Amino acid sequence: MDRKFFYFSEMGYNAYPQELADQYGYTALMFPNSIFDANVARDLWQMFLREHEFASEMGFDGSVCNEHHNNVISMQESVNISAAVLTQRIKGTIALIGNPLPIHDNPVRVAEEIAMLDLISGGRIISGFVRGTGIEQLSTNANPVYNRERFEEAFQLIRKAWTEPGPFRWEGKHYHFRVVNPWQLPLQKPHPRIWAAGILSPETIRWAARQRITYLVLGSALDATASCRDIYHEVAREDGWTPTSEHLGYLLHTCVMDTDEEAFEMGRHHFGSGVGRGGGAGLSGTGSAGSTTSGPHPEWNSPPGYMSKQAKTGAMAKQRQNSQGTYEAANKAGLIVTGSPKTIIQKFKHIIDRTDPGYLTFWAREGKKPHEATMRGIELLGKEVIPALREHRSALITGKEVTPWPH
Amino acid sequence: MAALSAVAAESRTITGLDIEVRRAGKGPSLLVLHGEFGVPGWLDAYARLSQSFDVIVPSLPGYGRSQRPEWIMSVRDYAAWVTWFARDIGLSSPVHVLGHSLGGWIAAEIATIAPQFIDRLVLAGAMGMKPESGEIFDYFLESGRTGIERAFHRPEQCAEYRKYYIGDWGPDQNEATEDHREMTCRVAWKPYMHSLTLPGLLPAIATPTLIVWGRQDAITPLNSGELYQRGIAGARLAVIEDCGHMAEMEQPGAFAGLVQDFLK
Repeated sequence: MDRKFFYFSEMGYNAYPQELADQYGYTALMFPNSIFDANVARDLWQMFLREHEFASEMGFDGSVCNEHHNNVISMQESVNISAAVLTQRIKGTIALIGNPLPIHDNPVRVAEEIAMLDLISGGRIISGFVRGTGIEQLSTNANPVYNRERFEEAFQLIRKAWTEPGPFRWEGKHYHFRVVNPWQLPLQKPHPRIWAAGILSPETIRWAARQRITYLVLGSALDATASCRDIYHEVAREDGWTPTSEHLGYLLHTCVMDTDEEAFEMGRHHFGSGVGRGGGAGLSGTGSAGSTTSGPHPEWNSPPGYMSKQAKTGAMAKQRQNSQGTYEAANKAGLIVTGSPKTIIQKFKHIIDRTDPGYLTFWAREGKKPHEATMRGIELLGKEVIPALREHRSALITGKEVTPWPH
Repeated sequence: MAALSAVAAESRTITGLDIEVRRAGKGPSLLVLHGEFGVPGWLDAYARLSQSFDVIVPSLPGYGRSQRPEWIMSVRDYAAWVTWFARDIGLSSPVHVLGHSLGGWIAAEIATIAPQFIDRLVLAGAMGMKPESGEIFDYFLESGRTGIERAFHRPEQCAEYRKYYIGDWGPDQNEATEDHREMTCRVAWKPYMHSLTLPGLLPAIATPTLIVWGRQDAITPLNSGELYQRGIAGARLAVIEDCGHMAEMEQPGAFAGLVQDFLK
């Protein structure tokens, strides 16, 4: 397949006092919503949606939307609502990353809503599923111990609802339905492409490989992402099949401006530095396990049973930890990509050479980054970076030398 | 007081699971159901009680070194398991049952379902009843260590707190604490640490019952104890002063004395 290039923004509520963000952490459970101003949020929505629209106009293949709860880093309380709006605002693909299945008590409704989106958009939907962050198990009161079980069971139920004729009965461990018979079914057959999105949980990578669905690496460093690809391919080999680039997605913080100096200055102020200063969600972005962005309560990232012991202490957990730190260190680790178009074209060629993602998503707006700068970044990506990268084939495929990382 | 020396935990297959048990003493059987922190060791209170009773302290499945089966998903599952355990180790019912915190909730459930199983019942800082005033402290919003510290009124002055919980925890203790939190999460996540049916069933309990509470319990409000007393006919509520949630560790003498007097 030809590589696809998508645009992503958390669409966060960025009108918070900095001292509160420092006190509570951006993804923290207890960030008080008393600071929320509905008029500000209304204007932010229009700005964020215009940026998505502009990315589409500039030649991006699609937009990515997601869902978070109970914090300032994202105003998207329902990924399906974001996607519904984007179906009317952009031309290309809308990738949901995604519905957090364990927090839903009715996965059939998720199947129905995605079917609606696929029909309304004319088959432009990619349906990502996520486990939800540790913190969201607390804020939605979803028992973290059963997070993975509920994720996997809900996934099986949704896929069955899309692919097998109803009505049928479902008596599982966590979900029970007398009648499953969703009237609307997806336009794409047998169903929209499914992604599992995550932050390098080895169990999820292996599970995605066993299901033969795309694994989307969310904002993780390059070495860790390369390891993730290795795990995926190893499991596929065990199961007797060969993945293609379509089976890996990579979403990366990307700050591009006309010059390297401008880009670094902008990124340093607006893309966070591990503690999210300046409006960023922190370099771990989604407040995921292992992130340092939940302020005084890091344990909220990992409520009891949410992470396996292997995920907490294994090699990939160490890679997660090692990749955090200063803005410069994050750039060096490939956790964030900063620079002029020329610089980041070379960086992304290096990234493609080492990981060959079929879907490359630029997380190109963050926090309090000004609208004008965001629009300029989108324009540079669309007009200069994406066209240059479309031509580039991964060294993993061609066997050529890996493009060097620019210094 | 020979039994004051440490009583080693033994693991054996009971109810089809590897179960860790501590046991010492002679006399009528006293089955102890621990709370959400598991059993850190042979406590002073157990040693005192073992002067008069055959004290049996299993680590419930999923706690300590006891194996966790997938099927235990509720406190009532634990209640059923306890009666199975007692039968498998050859206890003749009725037995005295002492339940602390989460174990108290399990004990109360047993009393409603299988009254013939219990001779006399002691509920200490028991979970299970939603207080009318105050809230049960939410362990899952805090670290394991914070929860344990909060369970003691004056942790630094408590010998058994200092023995078991002070200082740097090694990986084993951290892992055990997380295992206990996970197991508690399995059975008491929602509704949190209380039952919606227990209040309706308490009047069915005819078992003589002693309720023990620490005056300064900052985990389970004293009001929960008052609700237990109000619900169980003839129950007595004894409040220990200068004492938090972990009465058996913080005031072992007073605690064991109350229990001993009641069971005699």
